[in-house]
Amino acid sequence: MTSAEAPVPEPAQVPPAYARRLNVVAALVPLASGVVAAIMSVNLGIGTLPAPGPGMWPLIVSVAMVVAAAVLVLQSRPRGDEERFTKDVVVVAIAAASLVAYAFLFELVGFEVPTVALLVLWLKGLGRESWRLTAVVSIVATAALYLLFITALGVSLPHIIAL
Amino acid sequence: MDFLSPVIAGFGVVFQPENLFYCLLGVTLGMLVGVLPGLGPAATIAVLLPITYNIEPTAAIIMLAGIFYGAQYGGTITSVLLRLPGEASSVVTAIDGHELARQGRAGSALGIAAIGSFIGGTVAVIGLTFVAPLVAGFALDFGPSEYTALALLGILLITTLGTGSPLKSILMATVGLLLATVGQDPLEGASRLTFGVDQLLDGIDFVIVAMGLFGVGEILYNLESLRRPAAPAAAVGSVYPSRAELGQSKGAITRGSVLGFLLGILPGGGATMSSMVAYAVEKRASKEPDRFGKGAIEGVAGPETANNAAATSSFIPLLTLGIPANATMAIMFGALLIQGIAPGPMLVEEKPDLFWGVVNSMYVGNLLLLAMSMPLIGVFVRILRVRAAILAPLTILVTMIGVYTVRMSVFDMFLMVGLGVLGYLMKKVGFEPGPLVLAFVLGGLLESSFRRSMRIFGGDLTGFLTQPITATLLGVIVLIVLAPPALRLSRRNRQKVKA
Repeated sequence: MTSAEAPVPEPAQVPPAYARRLNVVAALVPLASGVVAAIMSVNLGIGTLPAPGPGMWPLIVSVAMVVAAAVLVLQSRPRGDEERFTKDVVVVAIAAASLVAYAFLFELVGFEVPTVALLVLWLKGLGRESWRLTAVVSIVATAALYLLFITALGVSLPHIIAL
Repeated sequence: MDFLSPVIAGFGVVFQPENLFYCLLGVTLGMLVGVLPGLGPAATIAVLLPITYNIEPTAAIIMLAGIFYGAQYGGTITSVLLRLPGEASSVVTAIDGHELARQGRAGSALGIAAIGSFIGGTVAVIGLTFVAPLVAGFALDFGPSEYTALALLGILLITTLGTGSPLKSILMATVGLLLATVGQDPLEGASRLTFGVDQLLDGIDFVIVAMGLFGVGEILYNLESLRRPAAPAAAVGSVYPSRAELGQSKGAITRGSVLGFLLGILPGGGATMSSMVAYAVEKRASKEPDRFGKGAIEGVAGPETANNAAATSSFIPLLTLGIPANATMAIMFGALLIQGIAPGPMLVEEKPDLFWGVVNSMYVGNLLLLAMSMPLIGVFVRILRVRAAILAPLTILVTMIGVYTVRMSVFDMFLMVGLGVLGYLMKKVGFEPGPLVLAFVLGGLLESSFRRSMRIFGGDLTGFLTQPITATLLGVIVLIVLAPPALRLSRRNRQKVKA
């Protein structure tokens, strides 16, 4: 259920050695996590098969995870679904950081100011839209979100403007 | 004809103005989602989950279902006009559909797709009406061991039949199962894998996982191509196909309806796989297979009919067994749980209003979609011009505020953004979020039925084999695991013999 996958084969441009490195790293992360989870599960107490402890099921799952990840490390050949990390990653990193900042400010100063700020950053900074469009969309969208969540759905979002 | 009376009563539910409104809203949203670049149906339904808290259950599910099958209609438009499938299930449509558009027959392709989708969808609803109660009746006797096998089969099938690499999908499924264990042990209350974080004691909310991996993950992923210029759309022309085109497509639509319905029921099946199989079938059935890839109208009619039929019939395993067949159904599963409804064999009996209301709303929804895809198509084609740069911040804000409203918790926002970054990275290295989310949903069921079975069998693993249905299901699992390597081996041996 993925979307917007253009049939233009972009992944084909990924050099095989790069894709292989990517696959190894991508499999090592779950491998390590699986080992940690397995150790934590054992510490929880496995119990016996007729009377499983809280750690048995997580242990079974993390062992399966470690096995699958280990096989992937060994079979790291490119599968055609790897993509190169280009300088566009910066856009994604900025976007993710802005979301963290948004969440951080949300309860502190209410939802209005961070919402406008996020819209301005994404529209102008990331999307390179015109100032006029940025201003109009930011204000209209913030008002619409206010009306949707606070007025229509009656959710008590932290907000500073009382209607 | 006893069983038909709740079916007919279901129409009464559909025609309540509120439900009609949500049906219209759902299919319109679905069309939009299909047309707009960026979010797929799974992501949209995920993003809207918190809003459904405030809607009455039947109306909420009618709306979400509408988004799902509506997106199958909308996805066709971008496939044909831009060669940019809005949904994975319309990828094969792009092959011949866009070729037709280049020949100035975009309208015919869209018209046939709409007619095929309507027929496929409607046939599947009728099929669902008769098959679902049978499956539910059969499943009433299922105990923990049957559910263990069924959940395992569901997870395995989505990993092997899905679009990505099976091994990567299996790894994702185990990650999903592991994430599902976070929180208090359901039976003994010990806190597991929470790293001492109190907010994780209740486990990770499914809504957050779905919104993070699908919603935020997809938005972040699409940001990479934010500044790339949009492709110009082909002109549509008349959407009313000629008599000759209808004649050419008749067989494809018939085959697509049946094929889509059957493949949609399979766990792991669903719209994407059925559209691909339908394309292959049409190519094989055709007297002139050379026309395929050069603008064969059957290459549009078959897959588009099949993906709609499958989208509809994939509700069967969810509503009758409580086993979602694909990632979108996993999110529907979550939506039902939010409403306090446990999907499973009891649903038809216990909540006939909801069950038949939702099923019958699909007739109305398909009719509305037919209208939107033919007389009103111009409206949706114009929407193609809306820029992703404007949509992305709007969607992300609905997502961020939405997740906050679930528990009024900023922690959930952080968690969702974290999962979103994970979802983005997964997409970059070719890991599909689908198997993870599906396994996450089934994780609780799988663990509790496994542990209950173990208690019943006194710790004896062979106990599973003493139950006929369980043993059969396990046999199917073994077959699925062993078949591909065995086939590969025999092929290699044969090649050796030849050489």
